[in-house]
Amino acid sequence: MSNLAGIPYYVLEFGDELVYFTPYTITLFLLALTFTIFVLVSRPERQVDIAFGGDAYTTKEITISEMRFRRFMAIACGLASMGAMVTGDIFNFTLFTAMVGITNVGIVAAVKSPHVQNAAFQYGLVALTATVPLFGGAAVYAAATGSLSMIELAKGTLPAVPFVAKAFLVLGVIGEGMAPFYAAKAEMFRAPGAPYVIMCSLSSLLIFLRVIEVVMLG
Amino acid sequence: MMWGQYSYGLLVVLIAAAIAFIALAMETDDLHRFLLLDLIEIPSLAVIALLGTDLAEALVLPGLTVGIAEQLALSQIYCVKERISANPVHGLNIEVIAKADAPLIISIFLVVYGLILSGFTGGGVAGLGLVFFFMSRGYKEDLNLLEMASGISWAVWIFAFFVFMFLPQYWYVALMCAAVGIVLKVTVKMSLVGTMWGKGDE
Repeated sequence: MSNLAGIPYYVLEFGDELVYFTPYTITLFLLALTFTIFVLVSRPERQVDIAFGGDAYTTKEITISEMRFRRFMAIACGLASMGAMVTGDIFNFTLFTAMVGITNVGIVAAVKSPHVQNAAFQYGLVALTATVPLFGGAAVYAAATGSLSMIELAKGTLPAVPFVAKAFLVLGVIGEGMAPFYAAKAEMFRAPGAPYVIMCSLSSLLIFLRVIEVVMLG
Repeated sequence: MMWGQYSYGLLVVLIAAAIAFIALAMETDDLHRFLLLDLIEIPSLAVIALLGTDLAEALVLPGLTVGIAEQLALSQIYCVKERISANPVHGLNIEVIAKADAPLIISIFLVVYGLILSGFTGGGVAGLGLVFFFMSRGYKEDLNLLEMASGISWAVWIFAFFVFMFLPQYWYVALMCAAVGIVLKVTVKMSLVGTMWGKGDE
């Protein structure tokens, strides 16, 4: 277990599906949980437009239905992030990453602004394209080692994971809009509603921190 | 031998993916790019399917589901972005089909056959029968009840999995729950395709 980030406190087994909590993953999990609770209880900010050269300013109206949809998406994003933090299965990790990708689009897609809609669509195209290296990486993991379990991979008894599998996995995660390239999503952040939009950034950061642990296994 | 075959398969899939990527990069129309994504989804599933094991079969399904979910989400964004309003669907609108008894008989046959098959396949066949019936009759009713039935049968299916994991001695009950749950779930879901078209709840 030397390669896992710390000794697991707890391993929950569903057959060969594992969920484990190490000091590293539990920290990330708690961060995702805390922020999801914040999203659950908070109200959206109202973006302020200031007219240059004068004192005039307006706040944008956010309708209840839009707010409810975005809050739902932000919570779904938080749940997917939590899943990705604690899962002990490479393929489940890729699925959760793909789900974070969709919900990130969903968080901003309810905003009725052509700029945001367009950016969300373009980003969605990239996210969908990224499923090829993402799932491909997980498949090569299974083909080369015969296992998708992170606990098994960390034992060091399985054949070494080919570099290409790790590269695919990281490429897929980056394509889903994760750090360090989530600056590409900047156009989407024109969407108003602070707590929900920040969920995009936070989930991206968490997924990237987790994928670093994953590629260090095996 | 097997490893060599796998490598060749992987090479073919990656070439296919590269062709799809190039097509996507060259295309400028948003709708066409969206359609090209289908071409990109297939290599991503083919890479998994190349494993050729039970595990691969079990992994293709969630991969496909996530892919379809992403495509549905993107298509909705595209509709809003391009201001395409909902186009009411009125079934096939062919008078002969709408009045004749044949669609009813074919649908009943498909549903009964599907229930006998059970499982995913049975659900698919029975669902096809219902889709055909709804299409031919231009069914317009509140389908929220069906949606709820789908949700409950899904919960039964999941419940069966928990019995498998924690109370394996009751496997027979779990098997029956799973079989009935999934046949209802797939049937209902398929019959809702094209009939629930974002009305009422907006």
